[in-house]
Amino acid sequence: MAETQTKTIVVTRFDPDRDEAPRQQRYEVPVEPDWKILDALNYIKDEVDPTLSHRWSCRMAVCGSCGMNVNGEPKLTCKDPVTGYGDVIEVAPLANFPVIRDLVTEMEGFMERLQKVKPFILRAKELAVEAGPTRQSPAELDDYRQFSMCINCMLCYAACPVVANEPDFLGPAAIALGHRYNLDTRDQGQGERNEIFRDDGGIFSCSFANECSRVCPKHVDPAGAIQQAKLRNVIDWVTGLVRRREEGVR
Amino acid sequence: MRRMLLVLEPVIWLLFSAGMMVGGLLLPAWALVMGVAGPLGIAPAATSYDHVYALASHPLGRLVLLAAIALPLWGGAHHLRHVWLDFGGLRSDGLVGTLCYGVALLGSLAAIVAVARL
Amino acid sequence: MSHARPRVDAMKSARPGPTRTAPPRPPDGFPGARASAVGAVPPGREKLRSYLAFGFGGFFLMSVSLLVLRAVWALGNGEAAWSRVQASLQNPIYVIFHALAFVWLSWFVLRLFRLFPATQPRRIGPLRRPPDAVLVGGLSAAFVGVTLALAAILSGALG
Repeated sequence: MAETQTKTIVVTRFDPDRDEAPRQQRYEVPVEPDWKILDALNYIKDEVDPTLSHRWSCRMAVCGSCGMNVNGEPKLTCKDPVTGYGDVIEVAPLANFPVIRDLVTEMEGFMERLQKVKPFILRAKELAVEAGPTRQSPAELDDYRQFSMCINCMLCYAACPVVANEPDFLGPAAIALGHRYNLDTRDQGQGERNEIFRDDGGIFSCSFANECSRVCPKHVDPAGAIQQAKLRNVIDWVTGLVRRREEGVR
Repeated sequence: MRRMLLVLEPVIWLLFSAGMMVGGLLLPAWALVMGVAGPLGIAPAATSYDHVYALASHPLGRLVLLAAIALPLWGGAHHLRHVWLDFGGLRSDGLVGTLCYGVALLGSLAAIVAVARL
Repeated sequence: MSHARPRVDAMKSARPGPTRTAPPRPPDGFPGARASAVGAVPPGREKLRSYLAFGFGGFFLMSVSLLVLRAVWALGNGEAAWSRVQASLQNPIYVIFHALAFVWLSWFVLRLFRLFPATQPRRIGPLRRPPDAVLVGGLSAAFVGVTLALAAILSGALG
């Protein structure tokens, strides 16, 4: 049976009140064989250095709080076993995000991008209650279901070269979620969302590196969503050229 | 310039997608036969004016050649513009994009003339 | 061209928080990113190299199609012009270039086909998207078939 092992965790530290720039600090941690990276970080905070700051919550890969770069790869630290690594493990804040402190990144930029795509059912005309429930077949649900699985962990943003180079880019998760609503039969906001998608930093900034889909812990496949969205957008754009604009939500 | 490119983006993307497909399907064979086998003497017919002219001047041949020249130009232009962006070239994106697509446009127009005059 | 570095305003928000933030770092897999303190090579590095090579395929797409254009233009100018083009293609640099283009573009299109299924909708009306293996296999087989057919036609073995 595997025993406790000592691993060196190299953690990026940054205190805006004290540090000019982020630095690295090494901790010797006695890891249990069933530990995840998050367990090691919690050990550091609880037993070694209470000044360490990191986000976490559910410990079961559904809340999306604990995303970090581990040995250069964006991971959910609550899901990532320590046994997958050697004696030295490097834990850094998610790439591509400004860092507030230690392993805690500034999420506000993501929230703004998410809001831009209007990730909710948009109706041109609300149905009357008397019309009864809106029915959706299993096949219609299946169309968008995969893209609805996003937990907003932002690992995809940390992996994306376009996020790194183009500050206005909506990013993988926001586009995948916008596309999820475009595919929903209850939604009538495709025209409005497609205009946002065509804007600066929209879907056509994506160059299909596919890194987002590779690192996504929920197999949302945002890269697939974005490429599908491009084709739908072009079709919408062409038909929009010949169609008269209607007032309100199209 | 970047604003102009933004407006044209859906069309450019469509041409780029078609260009990748058509270019990827047709150009490897061309490169192998016309660029390697022919010049090395392995496929002498590929260097023969009469043989190639007969193929090219056929209506189907003209169409295939037009597609094989014009579409990959857009595919390549879009790729190169994005490689430039990948290496941090956002500030000059308007200029670089216009240059890349400009070459694609000129090449496409030249292709139309080239196959028409055969 | 600079090494890949995120712009200092990557993922910047319109409403900055109350404290000073450290600037964003690039994805560790991206060429030019800082070396790991522990010597780890992130899996992203190989994938992003492949992605950049794919993007650079654009150079071969453009240059080969421009060479096709040159050949077709010479065809229109007559046999003498065509012979001049053929003579220039004998240059070893051109031969190596075309050989490299053949390899690079073949890899390019096969990678494109491998990524293709995810870009398609799951269904169009009652028609479901075929399984990925079927799509990729079919497209790759089409590439081999078209390449062989074209090669045969151009070299005079067919048609």
